Amino acid sequence: MTPKVGIIANPISARDIRRVVASANGVQIADRANIVLRALAALAACGVAEVVMMPERGGIGGHVLRGIERARGQSAARFPRLNFLDMKITGTVEDTRCAARMMALAGDVAVIIVLGGDGTHRAVAGDCGTVPIAGISTGTNNAFPEHREPTITGLAAGLAAMGLVPPAVAFAANKTIEVSIDGGAPEIALVDVAIVTDRFVGARALWRTETFRELYVAFADPEVIGMAAIAGLVEPVTRREAGGLALILAPAATAAMRVRAPIAPGLVEMVGIQSWARMPAGTVFTPALSAGAIALDGERELFFDPHQDVAVRLVDRAFHTVDVAAVMQFAARQGLLLDRPLEGARP
Amino acid sequence: MTNNPFPLPKDELLAAYRTMRTIRDFEERLHVEFAKGDIPGFVHLYAGEEACAAGIMSHLTDVDRIASTHRGHGHCIAKGVDVHAMMAEIYGKATGACRGKGGSMHIADLSKGMMGANGILGAGAPLICGAALAAKFRGDGGVGITFFGDGASNQGTVLESMNLAAIWNLPVIFVVENNGYAESTSVDYATAVDSYVDRASGFGLPGVTVDGTDFFAVYEAAGEIIKRAREGGGPALLECKMIRFFGHFEGDAQAYKAKGENDYNRTNRDCLKIFAGRVTSAGVVSAAEIALIDREVAALIDEAVGQAKGAPLPSARDLLTDVYVAY
Repeated sequence: MTPKVGIIANPISARDIRRVVASANGVQIADRANIVLRALAALAACGVAEVVMMPERGGIGGHVLRGIERARGQSAARFPRLNFLDMKITGTVEDTRCAARMMALAGDVAVIIVLGGDGTHRAVAGDCGTVPIAGISTGTNNAFPEHREPTITGLAAGLAAMGLVPPAVAFAANKTIEVSIDGGAPEIALVDVAIVTDRFVGARALWRTETFRELYVAFADPEVIGMAAIAGLVEPVTRREAGGLALILAPAATAAMRVRAPIAPGLVEMVGIQSWARMPAGTVFTPALSAGAIALDGERELFFDPHQDVAVRLVDRAFHTVDVAAVMQFAARQGLLLDRPLEGARP
Repeated sequence: MTNNPFPLPKDELLAAYRTMRTIRDFEERLHVEFAKGDIPGFVHLYAGEEACAAGIMSHLTDVDRIASTHRGHGHCIAKGVDVHAMMAEIYGKATGACRGKGGSMHIADLSKGMMGANGILGAGAPLICGAALAAKFRGDGGVGITFFGDGASNQGTVLESMNLAAIWNLPVIFVVENNGYAESTSVDYATAVDSYVDRASGFGLPGVTVDGTDFFAVYEAAGEIIKRAREGGGPALLECKMIRFFGHFEGDAQAYKAKGENDYNRTNRDCLKIFAGRVTSAGVVSAAEIALIDREVAALIDEAVGQAKGAPLPSARDLLTDVYVAY
């Protein structure tokens, strides 16, 4: 069975209030389509013959088809065959989840390339099963997907999908944080879970530091943006090491310690910290705040009232991603992209 | 109010609910009354979209100006226009907000900063640029809000106004009320630029998309955008994705909607139910307080309809009055 590559490109990411309260950028639909075309060209260069893509109403697919048609008109056959999943489009995150489920169930999708921010990647990771993800950041706080030219991500995804790189090299395990209310089905976060005093979802993003109370992070990288930056500047924890970090936060004016953290693009704020501790995998943490909102990867998604119980738990090795750096190093060392057409020819 | 986790104090939460309930009952009643044939002209109902008007207008005072659309009743009520005068205007009576000469699509009350509903799509955008320019010259801190739908967003007037607002750094907020249908044409078909936020960024304006059925989402986003504009930060765009419970106009068969779409939306995406559920489950507002507002608003609308029906029509002598205004 010839492996396929899946593409899930979210047309809705990077539209929230952080364009006003911070200086977050927006990635235009035409630019997202262009990123897909670059990834497609890279996949074709690796020998990937077929790609399946999530349909959406945001316009990405239309621009991509137009780009492929134009290339065909120029006699440049540099893209794989592209098909769209047969699914109902709702214009919500359910589209992303449905596409991930369909790709996982298909059995012949070797890698899913994801275009979006942390929220989009979270939605895919929750439903992609054992299919690895290759992330491309087109969101606001892109702590999870690494910043890289999409052509390179496409090359790595293609090499991994075609089995040209050993799985032990090509794929890396990632942590998640699960959150459940009253023992219900858990929601997941890939980077961080924040507990804030708001009891409504509202405009979703977090920017009012005085509302921050608790923070749980799967990894704490001082180079990332968003809530995880707070942890990263206190005690770095890598993506690959076991466990995460749990922090008790407080209004900066009353906290014993403060950290100046980039909580959104262009927004560096003083955040109060009371204490922090390692967060071992499997241990259940219960927020001290009796009622509030729960932000998953920087966006308020859930709220809880005083009579409800919230459980937070870190899970090691929850899902896999394409290790782009490792794949490209392997490809270089093994000469996977080298071609010597004159080798053996007589002078 | 202690232990209030919402961004508004309790009295303002109740006021916001009252505004949304007033809009809803006003529109539901017009739906019934229009079918009786007593109301001249057309009416375009705002039911289902209340959280957008209420969430934005909660941040405004009479010094701030708004320019509305053909679907303007909700904007008028949320901006503080008298409900009795509005109802009388829609009935074409002399006691109406515009003395019965405007009707549903031209209700205005400058004393409230309501520059008028508008029967011409996209016509509010250049008007609000003028109002915002005046506010900037006066230095009174006022902002201008123009509402338009996903259909009118394609009008040249809207695009030209975005350009004007950008180059003059006007305190204007462009609000796209995206209910998915331009009359009966789906937004998916009719809008070439696939995101209104993308369109705003083409003019260098920040753009934000929110769930327009969530009062708190609109309130939070609008608050930040309006604050930014008041402080000299310039224009911005706010897209509210929302639901229209009725047709484009009264009498619209709505054949372009999916079967069961209206029922689903009334059950699951009713902004009043969502708001009331949230504030009562948090224990900040009681169900009895919500019910009291419901009763008071029902009585208010009854009274407004009764007064409007009993009011006199304009006389023939009034035909040539109010045609021109001397400044």
